[in-house]
Amino acid sequence: MAILVRRSNLLAPITDAERVNQAWRSDADAITLDLEDGVVETRKAEARGLVKEGIALAGQGGAEVFVRVNAALLHADLDASVWPGVHGIMLPCVASAAEVLEAVEQMTALERRRGLAAGALELIVLLESARAVWDIRSIITASPRITQVGLDESDLACDLGITPLPEYDPYVYARGRLVIEATAAKVQPIGITYPLGVHPRSLSAAEIHRMATDARNLGMKGVLCPDPSWVAPANAAFTPTAERVAHNKRVREVFAGAVAEGTAAVPLDGRMIDVPVDEWAKVVLAMADACDARDAQKRAARAGS
Amino acid sequence: MATPQVRRSGLTMPVVTRRFVDHAWRRGCDFINLDLEDSVPQHLKAHARGLIKDAIPIVRKGGAEAFTRINHDHVHADLEAIVWPGLSKVNYPKAESAEEIRLLDDVITRLERERGIRPGTVEIGANIETATGVAAAYDIASASPRVKEFGGGSGYDMSRDLGVEMFVGFEQFAYGKGELELAARALGLQVRAAPFVANTTGSVSDADRAFGEAQAARKCGFRLGGGLNPAVVEPQNRGFTPTAEEVEDARWVLERHRELAGTGDTWIVIDGRVIDRYEAARARDTLEWAALCAERDREKAVAVLRTRAAMAEPTPPTSA
Amino acid sequence: MSARIRRSWLVVPMSKAEQIVRASRSGADVIVLDLVEFVAEEDKPAARERVQAAIRTAHAGGAEVFAQVDPEMLVADLHACAWPGLTGVIVSRLESPQQVAEVNGLLAELEVRRGILHGALEIVAALETARGNHAAYDIGCASPRIRGLTLGRADLIMDLRPEPSGEIHLMPYLMQRLIGVARALGVTPIGAWWRAPARGLLAGPDDTYHAARRGRAIGFTGSLCIDVNQVEPLNRGFTPDDAEAAAANELITAYRAGVARGVALSEQGDRLVDRGAAAQSLALLDRAAACAARDREKAEMAGRQ
Repeated sequence: MAILVRRSNLLAPITDAERVNQAWRSDADAITLDLEDGVVETRKAEARGLVKEGIALAGQGGAEVFVRVNAALLHADLDASVWPGVHGIMLPCVASAAEVLEAVEQMTALERRRGLAAGALELIVLLESARAVWDIRSIITASPRITQVGLDESDLACDLGITPLPEYDPYVYARGRLVIEATAAKVQPIGITYPLGVHPRSLSAAEIHRMATDARNLGMKGVLCPDPSWVAPANAAFTPTAERVAHNKRVREVFAGAVAEGTAAVPLDGRMIDVPVDEWAKVVLAMADACDARDAQKRAARAGS
Repeated sequence: MATPQVRRSGLTMPVVTRRFVDHAWRRGCDFINLDLEDSVPQHLKAHARGLIKDAIPIVRKGGAEAFTRINHDHVHADLEAIVWPGLSKVNYPKAESAEEIRLLDDVITRLERERGIRPGTVEIGANIETATGVAAAYDIASASPRVKEFGGGSGYDMSRDLGVEMFVGFEQFAYGKGELELAARALGLQVRAAPFVANTTGSVSDADRAFGEAQAARKCGFRLGGGLNPAVVEPQNRGFTPTAEEVEDARWVLERHRELAGTGDTWIVIDGRVIDRYEAARARDTLEWAALCAERDREKAVAVLRTRAAMAEPTPPTSA
Repeated sequence: MSARIRRSWLVVPMSKAEQIVRASRSGADVIVLDLVEFVAEEDKPAARERVQAAIRTAHAGGAEVFAQVDPEMLVADLHACAWPGLTGVIVSRLESPQQVAEVNGLLAELEVRRGILHGALEIVAALETARGNHAAYDIGCASPRIRGLTLGRADLIMDLRPEPSGEIHLMPYLMQRLIGVARALGVTPIGAWWRAPARGLLAGPDDTYHAARRGRAIGFTGSLCIDVNQVEPLNRGFTPDDAEAAAANELITAYRAGVARGVALSEQGDRLVDRGAAAQSLALLDRAAACAARDREKAEMAGRQ
């Protein structure tokens, strides 16, 4: 099965023309045109009118283009967003399978009406209530369109009735449940380490890289980027380095040699290489190939534009 | 909850490696886990199956229990090969559903009957090594009365399933560990758990580390050990056994608690230390565990003496 | 209906009912008349006899009054405490929805017999065993009387011990799970984030304040305590302080200024501020106001003595 590579997903408020125009330069794997938290109430109607044009602008670097709709304005927002060139919808505030199915029904109808392939549009769902975290399994298995799931930590704080402190992570359970249930359902969990999810800031590339790496080591497969400065470090954190690739190629060689000689364990650089280590090497190399392929796609798209 | 087994230390070893099997009885382990899974190469698995029946009594010569780890994908062939008198437990990797456990139970039940093993003898170790397993934890743990201990939720296979590197120095598996432990406790099973210790080396042979971890685990109330390298056996035996001081202290606590009876108080503070029914329960537990460990050590010592006598080996001046 | 402010729940064993006078002057938001945890077996019959009078005394200082009852002795315990003036019961070591149904039925009968408004008596479920915690969701659903969940003395009853870090093994997981389940059900999570060795009977005022502050940061709203000296630290730890209120006001101001300019995302220093952050700040100010109102109410009632 093809590995989905979506290391970075840059949010661009649709009413911020500068951000929408420049988003492709960030080299994000995905760009989400935001109709929701990035747009003030009084401009939501105006925002809908800007989506169609924004799709082409955002997509010129080969990024997958998503649109984040408002849960409370679902029908109007979906109607404004389902056009050729859109890869999927980001659905915030999801609390039940029924809500997923409601969105899916309308997306299916719009796909048909607007000449997109049936079922083409993906769904990224964001959970922002304790109820949603508890019911996550029924939510993310409600539709095969769902490819990624994340927590909206800011809104989740409201639901839990807290103003989080950076020193005390209130989401260890919720985030852990997200990773386990998503992985079990073959949906990618996305997010960044605490407290950057609830207190997003512009930090140095090195700090973003470190936190994205920690997120990867919690099981996350990509990061929602509220700021372009997050994109490059996030991409790097989720891409196996040349050094790791070389090391894991060596692991595979050495292990294959051991197997040929009839054992299932062989030392290499002070570590025992056995079946699980070889299996992990396969994972890393497959991820490296998939990242290379994605980067090549984006380069080709930029060359063509 | 049933009387806990004493399983402080144990070695998982490929059954195909003759010298490991032959010397296992000398290691001082509480159990030996004969492996048919990850430490046995694919092309040797059929051969490995044929070795288990004879290996069981060999590894038990020092008083250790005999376990086997089977392959997730070869359940029938592996069970046929391993369920023989003397086997205490089947470790089943990557358990993902209650149905799998029930199937194992059914096959083991038939084999126990056919082979004259007392029904219910063979335990099942349901090892959770994937996200799907965590998501089904309670159902898996409750699927069969042969499951007597439960826990875990980290390790190589879990890391691969989640796509994470190991030994990164922070807790990566809090949710999975919590889910498994809660299920184990809710079902009255022995808990396989330990306090989080940041590990960035992945070393499997560090004796000091093994002792420190075993002691920390025991102080947290956990008693199940095991490993891959003989160097950790003695440290684990020692780390998981209460010290004489701790036994003495437990008796002191029980006396102080007995003195509360009839005073109308349910607790008292002595030298900054609370004595209440919870401390008393813990003290009783320590004494019971100390007795079980002593009994187990005696059992093993007797087995070793007998084996040496049978091999006409001299007994070393200080016994094992 | 916004939840009552219940930051401190001072437990008074009914075997030591003389302590009730001091308790009623302690400033506790709630007084808990205990028939279970701190009362020796042989003293229970006499303890039950004292509850009705204790309810009246406890009220004098403006506290709400709960009674802590044993699910194995429901008939005796509930008959002893379901009098006018009682707000509700904490059921210790609650393990199943069936037990909740039993409590519910007995309370309904007693309400009728004793002239208490039907449905008024609340239940707080103390989930102090592994079985109880595992069944938390089903227990919380089992009756509309359930208004709160707490771990009570789970750490002692489940024999959870300190780890080298000072965290009590499994408690961080159990706390966050309980908070999540409670919020999913719309009920209040009660407890604090205690760390060894300063927990239970050994917790001093400072430890108590910090346990409350940490607890509040992850979603608890109030905690049980056994000593009058813990009441003020709990009240303080569970109340937003002036610095927090000031920060909340600043953030709301920054957010609203942005919205007035048509911008939904603003910056406060290096922090990105959005609607969710503003909502958290508003909720904090609401809670601060509610706490102030509760404190005034208690002062008035105490003044009238």
